[in-house]
Amino acid sequence: MNINKWEIGPIFRALMRNKVGAVLIAIQIAVTMTIIVNSIFIIIERSKLMQRESGIDDANSFYITNTGFGDEFDSKATTIADLELIRNTPGVIDAVQINAIPNSGSGWSMSFQTEPGENKEDQGAAIYMVDEHATKALDIEVIAGEDFTPSDVRWRENGTRDWPDTVLITKVLAESLFPDTPWQEAVGKTMYISQTEPMIIKGIVDKIQAPWVGWSDLEHSVLTPEITQFSSTRYFIRTQAGERDRLMPEIEEALASANKQRIIRGLRSVEETRERSYRGDAAMIKILSTTMVILTIVTALGIVGLASFSVNRRKKQIGTRRALGASQSAIVRYFMLENFLISSVGVIIGAVLTIGLNMVLVNVFSLPSLDWYFVPAGMLVLWLVGQIAVFGPAKKAANIPPALATRTV
Amino acid sequence: MLTMHNVKKIFRTDLVETHALRDFNLQVDEGDFVAVTGPSGSGKTTFLNIAGLLETFEGGTYELDGKNVSNLSDKQRSQLRNEKIGFIFQSFNLIPDLDLFDNVDVPLRYRGFNSAERKKRIENSLELVGLANRMKHLPSQLSGGQQQRVAIARALAGSPRFLLADEPTGNLDTKMALSVMELLKEINDTGTTIVMVTHDQDLAKQAKRNIYVRDGQVSELSEVVSLEHAANA
Repeated sequence: MNINKWEIGPIFRALMRNKVGAVLIAIQIAVTMTIIVNSIFIIIERSKLMQRESGIDDANSFYITNTGFGDEFDSKATTIADLELIRNTPGVIDAVQINAIPNSGSGWSMSFQTEPGENKEDQGAAIYMVDEHATKALDIEVIAGEDFTPSDVRWRENGTRDWPDTVLITKVLAESLFPDTPWQEAVGKTMYISQTEPMIIKGIVDKIQAPWVGWSDLEHSVLTPEITQFSSTRYFIRTQAGERDRLMPEIEEALASANKQRIIRGLRSVEETRERSYRGDAAMIKILSTTMVILTIVTALGIVGLASFSVNRRKKQIGTRRALGASQSAIVRYFMLENFLISSVGVIIGAVLTIGLNMVLVNVFSLPSLDWYFVPAGMLVLWLVGQIAVFGPAKKAANIPPALATRTV
Repeated sequence: MLTMHNVKKIFRTDLVETHALRDFNLQVDEGDFVAVTGPSGSGKTTFLNIAGLLETFEGGTYELDGKNVSNLSDKQRSQLRNEKIGFIFQSFNLIPDLDLFDNVDVPLRYRGFNSAERKKRIENSLELVGLANRMKHLPSQLSGGQQQRVAIARALAGSPRFLLADEPTGNLDTKMALSVMELLKEINDTGTTIVMVTHDQDLAKQAKRNIYVRDGQVSELSEVVSLEHAANA
């Protein structure tokens, strides 16, 4: 490869003398890069959020709501009977009454602190009211301390304001509450709810996400050992692999038949719940992906259009170059280099605009800052798009015969 | 320098075949200055294109500087054009977006000369045509005669042994045409072989040798020595 044959200087000077088309394409490349790089960054961030595991057995779990009515409805007896019915249904691994479903969008949260009193540093966490079946039903693991026993579990009536003495918390919450000690050492320590009410941490579970997928403390969760005696309760059921879809209508029917003093409704799989919660993110990914593809195609077509116009306009000039000794590959190289120079201006402007747009997104929408490598990667992609787009017109130019130089029309 | 023997060139369309050259025979010796005349459509430009390796041909043989060029690849033909042949076109064919320096630079780049060598050659050739002080001008800032001089500078910059001129004065007024012709004769005097296609019989007479092309053949060949050359002799 003889660098002396590269016409970078003459091409650049020629572009400077005839720059309208080139500037428009450079601007298009810059705008495309700005939007594409920020879109990819947002898509990756959203995908990361969507790929976070809930900590529970999403694929084999579902839940159903039980709402009693009338004076004769006995919430406590119904719950006991329902849980026994469900747990004894073949194909069910375990079931638990629960006040909220992870990733569902609705639930309870409270603040917890390690010292009692006002104005102490605290951590927000979701509260799941469950019994001793929770770890099995939810498929979570106690990784330090002990699980609940039946004697830990109490009945919680409507209007109850106090809290059980012992709790299980997630590992991430343990790390947030006691940042200066290993998370395992949180077992046995006391934390305070409602500023002053003590709770002893009986055990630490690996992971169970809160109901709100957009919450920054998504993995802060507390399990309290209590069964609610409310008129409306929810059962969380985990089945053996592949049994969920069969058991969902079966259990719904069984519960509805077992007690006519209530309504059985809200039957939904955990997978569907999770999908609904991330539906906005999924839609945004689709919209951004579509926008990126369209924009890239439009930019590529713009480059093809400019290059084709340029080839048609310069047929005689290309023929002359061929007559003066340019090989076909030299003509291809000329147009590829010309596009590279235009793209270079575009991607340099694009790099500045990309960082600028990201700063706006960081300030206005609290998005994280762009990782440094996105900008050079975006430049490389746009360079490649330009080179691929211009290759066709460049090959066409190379096929212009040198004899065209001597034609007068 | 140039030997064509029974060269044929046929242009084909769906309906018709046109024999542009038929059994075309010509020998041009080193240092010659040949003017090619003939009516429109006689095959002058086709001959020029084949002589300049701009077009291929169907039959016969063509030797350029002792090398048979009948079956060269496109790349080999490009290289040979670049190294051995200088072109001068009727419409000058300068690149409008490039200044004179860059215009003359075009064939030198394809040769792969380094920057210093190119600069020296560009300056020398523009000096030779009297335009060294206008290197940064665009072609549009020059008169037709000056533009043709730039084209001659471009053709000469690579030190070709063979100069092909296609109606080099066709777009110029008489005064400018004579000036360009004088320049060509000076170049020929330095040993460069020139073949010039022209309609202008007066200019043709100033060449060392005239050939007449009709119906794709050299139908008449006469050696003409200009008065000036005769005087010198």
